[in-house]
Amino acid sequence: MPLLELDGVTRRYGALVALDQVALTVEAGEVRAVIGPNGAGKTTLFNVITGTVKPTAGRIRFAGRAIAGLPSHEICRLGVSRTFQITALFPEMTARENAQLAAQARHARRWQPFGGTRIFREAQALADAALEQLGLSAIADRPAGLLSHGDQRLLEVAMAMAQQPQVLLLDEPTQGLSVEETNQAVDTLARFLQATRMTVLLVEHDMEVVFRLAHRITVLHRGAVIADGMPDAVKADPRVQEAYLGGFD
Amino acid sequence: MTGATRMKGATRMKGATRLICIVVLLALVLAPLGLPPFAMTLLTEAVILGLFAMSLDLMFGYTRLVSFGHAAAYGFGAYASGWLLLHTGMPLLFAVFAAGLLTGVLAIGIGWMCTLATGVSFSMLTLALAQLLYAISFKWTSVTGGSDGLAGIPRTIGPFGFAALSSKAGFYYLALGCLVGGFLVCFALVRSPFGAVLRGIRENESKTTALGYNTRLYKIAVVAISYGLGGLAGALYAPFAGFANTELLFWLLSGQVLIMVIVGGAGTLIGPVLGAAFFMLMEHQLSAWTEAWALYFGLIFIAFVLFAPEGIWGLATRRRRAHPRP
Repeated sequence: MPLLELDGVTRRYGALVALDQVALTVEAGEVRAVIGPNGAGKTTLFNVITGTVKPTAGRIRFAGRAIAGLPSHEICRLGVSRTFQITALFPEMTARENAQLAAQARHARRWQPFGGTRIFREAQALADAALEQLGLSAIADRPAGLLSHGDQRLLEVAMAMAQQPQVLLLDEPTQGLSVEETNQAVDTLARFLQATRMTVLLVEHDMEVVFRLAHRITVLHRGAVIADGMPDAVKADPRVQEAYLGGFD
Repeated sequence: MTGATRMKGATRMKGATRLICIVVLLALVLAPLGLPPFAMTLLTEAVILGLFAMSLDLMFGYTRLVSFGHAAAYGFGAYASGWLLLHTGMPLLFAVFAAGLLTGVLAIGIGWMCTLATGVSFSMLTLALAQLLYAISFKWTSVTGGSDGLAGIPRTIGPFGFAALSSKAGFYYLALGCLVGGFLVCFALVRSPFGAVLRGIRENESKTTALGYNTRLYKIAVVAISYGLGGLAGALYAPFAGFANTELLFWLLSGQVLIMVIVGGAGTLIGPVLGAAFFMLMEHQLSAWTEAWALYFGLIFIAFVLFAPEGIWGLATRRRRAHPRP
């Protein structure tokens, strides 16, 4: 059974069809990239899966459970964690506190209004493990707002991982990074994905990043899936080349 | 690192700070022995206003929920305890706590409505609801006494004793107890897992939601607790002054309590208490000298915002940080 399954998912904004009958299945352990030109609906797809935006029509199943229309905090608690295209952190907290607050969200007594030493300790253990996985242990005590942009992008991934998700949604993890920073971040991500066998849905603009990280690629164009398959097959698909006006190179 | 890290923004008590707090608390406890009655009246009012300002700090300082209508809590608490004392014969102690509790329960509704919006719209809704209560206090004459308000509110002793509480010193201790109790509740709250989520909401609410927190529930809860403590302060004020009138629900008071929080130091709990005392001191000193005291206090407020945005408490702790003990 696939871990994440979308069927006929449509999202309209008035006359604009941001997502048009999208069908997509992600198997456990798979790293799936969703690519497409600007405005293809990639971020809308993430918003619909995570519940930030309700689909106009269609079914979304996660681990066998229908999640379309659930509030985003419930979907998140079922095991779907995401990062944002534009870095979203708690700038005045340290990197560790950022990850700790992320981990606390999965704790049964996350709302406890007194004490909480044990809750903090458990959350911190998860936070430290996630920071370690993404090579951020050395900067754990620095305020997130003062980290380099590359480290901030990785910290977002670490925050998602501190929640021990079943599927990780990465929205352009190298957005805004220089070529050198991108290479370093992708190296770290590749190592981390190899080590954890995490199920990932990845939206990315940078094709080199996609081909280094993804097992399978889905191509969105004007809200609809126009191709789906192994990286080499997708690369050679004439419709994909058409959509990108002149191909990848 | 061993043990759990509490969120750094949560109030921390360092050795020196703790010592100063204990000394000040001792001075406050011993105050009735040495101070003349007039000064005791002022001090009691400062303690009550301090609790009121501290209650707003939970919303303003710790969650960045800016209430422009916190007078709603104070005024409602005052009218509730005044009405209970006048019409039910309930003893002072119970009436005060019942009124605080009632305010908290009412604030669940207020919080639910105001959190339909965020940012400035949230603030406007708190203001609108406070003005609504203000209008009701004028019109619902049979309960509120209209523009006359409730007068002659007694400090009923009741069947369980506590007679001492109705004396001048006794009432002061009741107010001080509420302030210290309120502080301990707030202090535990902001250092707890719940408080960590509040800090997340303060720094980045949409990210906090994305992490899986139902931020609206947390906001409603903090509004209810904040209004409940503000209502407790108002509930103390009615039997303290012997009256409750529409001014206690007016937006002027909502503005003044925001100033107390900002001047004292938002997000510190103790700061707003100092801010309230400072505000009262300035009001008394300046108004003895000029009728336009509010103008001069306004200048002081501007100076704080520009040069010491961390407030009185921030200034005090900053100086100590700059000169660490050997």
